[in-house]
Parts: sequence; structure tokens; C-alpha cells
Amino acid sequence: MLYFYIIPNHIEPVDTGWVYPSTIPNAVAIILVLSGTAVFCTPTRHCARPASEVARAGLFLAVLCFGIWLISKVGFIWAAPGVAVGLMALMGERRGFWLLMGAGATPAVIWLLVDVLLDRSLP
Amino acid sequence: MVDFSTILAGFGDAFTLWNLSFVFFGVVVGQFVGAVPGIGPVMAMAIAIPFTFGLDTLPAIAFLVGVNKGGLVGGAIPAVLMNTPGTPDAAATALDGYPLAKKGKPLKATKMALFSSVTGDTFSDVVLITVSAPLAVLALRMGPVEVFALMIFAFSILSGLIGQSLVKGVIAAALGLLAASIGADPEHYTPRLIFGYYEVYDGLPLASVAIGMLAISEIIRRLSQMRGHVQPAIIIDETGNKDDRRVTFAEYWGCRFTMLRGAMIGTVLGALPGIGSTAAAFMSYATAKASSKDPESFGKGSLHGIAAAESANSAVVGANLIPLLTLGIPGSVGAALIISAFMIHGVQPGPLLFIDQGRLIYGLFGAMVMANVINLLIGQIGLRVWIKVVSAPESMIFASALLLCIVGVSMATGGLFGVAVMLVFAALGYLMTVFGYSVVIFIIAFFLGPRFEMSLSQSLAITNGDLSKIVDYPIALALLLLAAGSVWWLTWKSPKATEEITGDPTSHK
Repeated sequence: MLYFYIIPNHIEPVDTGWVYPSTIPNAVAIILVLSGTAVFCTPTRHCARPASEVARAGLFLAVLCFGIWLISKVGFIWAAPGVAVGLMALMGERRGFWLLMGAGATPAVIWLLVDVLLDRSLP
Repeated sequence: MVDFSTILAGFGDAFTLWNLSFVFFGVVVGQFVGAVPGIGPVMAMAIAIPFTFGLDTLPAIAFLVGVNKGGLVGGAIPAVLMNTPGTPDAAATALDGYPLAKKGKPLKATKMALFSSVTGDTFSDVVLITVSAPLAVLALRMGPVEVFALMIFAFSILSGLIGQSLVKGVIAAALGLLAASIGADPEHYTPRLIFGYYEVYDGLPLASVAIGMLAISEIIRRLSQMRGHVQPAIIIDETGNKDDRRVTFAEYWGCRFTMLRGAMIGTVLGALPGIGSTAAAFMSYATAKASSKDPESFGKGSLHGIAAAESANSAVVGANLIPLLTLGIPGSVGAALIISAFMIHGVQPGPLLFIDQGRLIYGLFGAMVMANVINLLIGQIGLRVWIKVVSAPESMIFASALLLCIVGVSMATGGLFGVAVMLVFAALGYLMTVFGYSVVIFIIAFFLGPRFEMSLSQSLAITNGDLSKIVDYPIALALLLLAAGSVWWLTWKSPKATEEITGDPTSHK
């Protein structure tokens, strides 16, 4: 797909010079096909992770995606405490003190560091 | 090449209170994150890079070097106290550190680790300062064809990081090259694979890729393995004997040959890109055990065992900068991050650094020496504090790290688009780890990709499209032969040697 569809459609064809814009991506596509075939055909000593673990990783990534969407809508200051508490709760943290630290202290320290000390704007 | 006044001015810069304060802060942060299992100095450096944008180049790089050096000292703390190395480099330290802590001497073990770490680090820094400028003079004689051969050599060193599967290593490198080819191509400047996102016209943001692949994907991997488990606090039993809380000068001096041997092993392996500090630590440990009059004491709390491992793994840090500063080749992830920090600050690493930025480089050398002194002082004072840090809940630390990554990348890329790119690469990094593909190879190939393409284009122009003319360039030919030799050595010989020492087929990575 990379070789036959993506590269021809998303790289402008150029016929001057020694190395065309598509030279390296085409070479990479060929290497990937050959190496992928080799990996598919040869047995491996690598043990795959349990599906539940991969799903859990997907869940954390989804929470992060949601968090970034939330930051884009309401800003870091308002979204960060919720994102921090959500992540900590998902990790299994149930102690009120540490949840409060995550929701309050961490965003406050980041605000102090970025907004006040470095004089840069938060997202 | 570099006149004496530049060297003095560079060292003078390093010793200003402003720059020293960043070295100090870097060492504190490094020891802190090193002491937390799972974070480590590499992840801390990746997170910290965007926060150094507002700084001048010297304090920014000195801060990152401080994080790296402090992280190695901090990494020994959980290795000694919990038998859980904070960094992979400290795995060999746990072999004797943990048994010594179990005997009721945790402070003696951590202090021996600190002293040997600083000794090894200082040794390799002296070697770096001595040899890098003459090597850069040699490197300056290289033209585009030689640079192309150097790029081939740089890719060949990736074979040292490949691990169990050669094919998977090739795939990881190919994916890194593919990611590097996104954006305008270096010869015609036409857009490639940008899919309408003109934000990546100049290439994928370095900070997004590095932080996504190295920091976020690793945090996600660790989080996915947690099952509501809150890290246990550590109960430290002490004998109450004052001598068991310190390392006497006689004990330190008694380990001098072990530390010197470890420092030499670490320096040599660190200067060879792609081998890494874990292999150096185990090799030094094995050599110390083999040459000891009392080999039975190893593994039961021997100070020589701790000294061997820590002096070697710390010596790798300084030596890692030799190929980086002289040739512009990152030999490890830490070096790759330092190279990216250089580039973000508008400095191109390589032999020209000593001419164009001599003062900066000697300032960096001064900062490295001072980082060792500060490492020793902070380590002496802060060991008890860092021991408490080990018992901080992972939930709090990982949530904070994720928020810092989001803010850092947003600052580095000027908006949330870079953060979205970071998440894409975090997912890719996680999947690569899950399926056994090296993220380190991906990152190094990503860094080298644009220079490789540019040097290939220039070499073809010079040789009129006939790369076989490369034999007319003796340095290029020598580099190609060296590349072939290093592929053979790193792919076949070195893994077997490391496996024999560590008993772990993946430990040489």
C-alpha cells in the first residue's frame, strides 16, 4: 500500500537531480515488505503481551486523547486536574490525599513553572 | 584548533553562578528521577528538553547532562534497597548492593555506589576532554563522500542495538527513516507524505517524536502492567553500627583498582556507539569477580562488586559524548536526546563544533566536571531523601510526568498539534515494544535520516552518479570497511560475549 498507493499519491513526482523525493520512501517500502515477509515466515522467541494488557494501554491512550481534546476546549488550567485525577483513578489510586495532590499540586506546580517562572503560555 | 583563551573562557562560563545553578538543578532532578523505578534519566531528559527552550544553550545542555549524570547515581538507590534497578544500568549494582542492604548496611551500599559512580564518571570526562578535540581535527578533513560513508558507519552501529532479531532491527530502522522522510525533501524541497498537514512541512517535530516514543510509550507500558497496585513503602533495617552507615577511606582505597578497571571498560565501551552502559556494568562486574582473590564474596554484598558495576556504567556517560561531539553520531538514547537538544538550540553537533562553538563545548566540559562534584555533594546529603522518594506512589509520579509531557511538547511545538503527533508516536512506540521492535533504533534512524539523504545526494553529485568511485576516497573506504567490521562484531560477536557474562540474551541493548 505504501509503495503502490501512498507514495505515488502523496509525493510530488520530480525527474531532476540524483535523489528523487520518492527514492528513500520507496527504498524503505521495499525493505519493509521484504523484512515483514521474513518476520512472518520465521519463528520468533518473542512472547506477545496479554491482550488485556494491550487493551489497558489503549484505555490510557484514549484517556490522554480525551484529555488533550478537553485542554483544547477549556484550557490546561481547567482540564489538568480532571485529567490527573482520571489517570490516577485508572491506575488504582484511591487515597484522597494523593488524589488531591494530583488534582491540585501537580497542575499548580506546572503553572508556576511555565507561566510564572518561564513566562510561557500554557496550552 | 581551539586556542587556549577559548578553552579558559568556556570553563569560565561553566563556573558562573547562573550556569552552576542549572547543573545543580539538573543533578537534583536526575537523582530524584533515577531513584524512582520506571522514570529514569532518559525519560526525564526527554520531558525536560522543551522546558530548556527559554534558556541559553550552555545552561540548557548543562542541565540535561546534570539530569543524565544524577540519574545514574539515583538509579542505584532502588537497585540497592529494593532489588529493583531504577535504570537498566544499575541492574549489576543490585547483585551486591541488595545483599549488603539486607545485611543492615543500606547506607554503606548506596554510598559506595555513589563514590564509585563519581569516580568512573570523572575518569571518562577527563578522557573525553583530552581526546575529543584531536579526533574532531581528523573528522574535519572529511568531504561529502566521507560524510556519506560516515552515515553508513553510523547506521552500521545500530546493529549493536538490534538484540535478538536482525530483521526486526532492520524494520525499526526503516520505520525511523520513513518517519524522517516526512516533510520537505532536502534536495528539491517538495513536500512528502504530509497529507495536507502543513505543520509538518519542515519535518515531524523532534520533541513530539522523542517524547512520544521514549517517555509516553514507556509510561503507558508500565501503566498497562499495573493492577491497582500501589508501590510498597520500604522498610530499611539498619544494624545501628556507625561504621555500617559510611564508607571509610580504607574501604574506598581498597577498591581503587576495581574502580579504575571499571572506568576503563566503561570509557572504551561508551566511546564505541551502540554498546551501552548495561553491558559495560556487567562486563566490569564479571572482570572484577574473575580477578578477585575472594570471588565467593561476590553476590553476597561485596563492595568490590558495587564499585565495579557503578564505576563502569557511569563512565559510559562521558565517553558517549566522544562520537557525538566529534562526528555528530549519537551512540545511545541519552546521546540522541542531547543531540536533539543541541539542534533545537540551533547548534549542529559534529567536528565543526570545536571551531564554531569552541567556547560552548569547553563550557559543557566544565559543566560536566562540576556536575560530578555536585553529584557527590548532593548524593552525600540527599541519599536519605531519595530513599523516601522511592516509596512515593507511582500513580502520582506517572500522572505528573504525563501532564509535563503534554505541556512540554505543546511549548516546544507551539500548540496542541505537536501533542497529537506525540500521542501517535507514543502508540507506535508502545506497539513496537509489545512486538519486540527496538524503539532506540527507530529514534537514532530518525535522527540520522535527513543527514543520510543529504549526504547521499551530495555524494552522487560529486561522483557523477557512480558510487563505486568511493574507492578513490581512502577515508570513505576505511569508514565503509569499519562499518562492515562493526556490523560483524556488533551483530555476532558482542551479543554472544555479553550473553556469556550476563546470562541474558537481551542485556547488551
